[in-house]
Amino acid sequence: MTDIFIAPIKNRHKNRHPIEESHMHILSSFSRNPHGLTFQAQKKDESIILFLRPHYLTNLPWVLLGIFLFFFPLIITQILPMLGIDFFSSNIVAHFITTYAVFYYLIVFSYILINFLTWFYNIFIVTADRIIDIRYSDIVIHNVSETNLHHIEDVRYSQSGVIPTLFNYGNLYAQTAGTTENFEARSIPKPKEATDVIASLIGDE
Amino acid sequence: MNFSFFQPIFLIKIITLIVIAFYIIFTFVVFTQIKAMGEIIGIPHASALFKTISVINIVLAISLFLFAIVIL
Repeated sequence: MTDIFIAPIKNRHKNRHPIEESHMHILSSFSRNPHGLTFQAQKKDESIILFLRPHYLTNLPWVLLGIFLFFFPLIITQILPMLGIDFFSSNIVAHFITTYAVFYYLIVFSYILINFLTWFYNIFIVTADRIIDIRYSDIVIHNVSETNLHHIEDVRYSQSGVIPTLFNYGNLYAQTAGTTENFEARSIPKPKEATDVIASLIGDE
Repeated sequence: MNFSFFQPIFLIKIITLIVIAFYIIFTFVVFTQIKAMGEIIGIPHASALFKTISVINIVLAISLFLFAIVIL
C-alpha cells in the first residue's frame, strides 16, 4: 500500500535542547549546553546538553579539615611550650623535624588534591542520546556508566535537609528498564531543573 | 663490631625513607589517574593543570626522599 504521508525524521543530534547556553568554567557544577567539553566515546554529532557535578558546598568538610591540618603544626608549636613541654629541643626531634615537617605538608597537600579531584571528576553528563555517569573515588577507582535515554523509565529528584533546600541542591535518580543499573547524581545543584531537562528529553525520544 | 645499624635513630631513618618511598609511589598513582581521567573527560585547561600539579608533587616527593637520605 502506498504511504499517504511520511513524517520527516527529526535529526535529534543537530537539535540542541531548547534551553539557554551557559558559560562553563573549569569549576562549574551545573552547565547547560557547555562549550569545549568532550568525553571519551563521544559521537561526532553528539552534543552535550547538561553537565553536572556535586554542589560546591559538598566540599566544605574537607576544605575545613584541610585548613585545620595546615595550621595544626603551628598550633602545636604554640601550645606545647605553654604546657611546659620542651619537645622541640630534643636532639632526635631536632634531627628529624625538617624532613617530617615537609613530609607532613606534602601529605596535607595530597589530601586536599585527592578530595578536590574526587569532587572534580564525579561528573554526570546528559547528551541528546544518553546519560553518562563518571564516578571517581579513593584515587584508584574510577567507574564510567552510560545508558541510552530510551532505557530510562523514570527520572526524579530529592532534596532533604535544611542546607540542601537552602542552597538548592539534591540527588537526581534515573531509573532504567530491566536489570540495567540505575543512575544517581548526588548533591547536584538545581536538581529540579536537571530532572525537567532529562524528563523532556525522554519525552522527545 | 659496629652496631650502629641497631641504633633507634638509624631505624627511624630507614622507616622514614620507606614511608617516603611509598609516598613517591602514591604520587605516581595520582599522576596516572589524572592522565586516565583526562582521557575520559576533556574539560578545557583541566588536564594540563592537574598534570602539572601532580608532576610538581612527584618532584617534591623525590626531592624530599633525597633530602632525607642526605640530612638524616
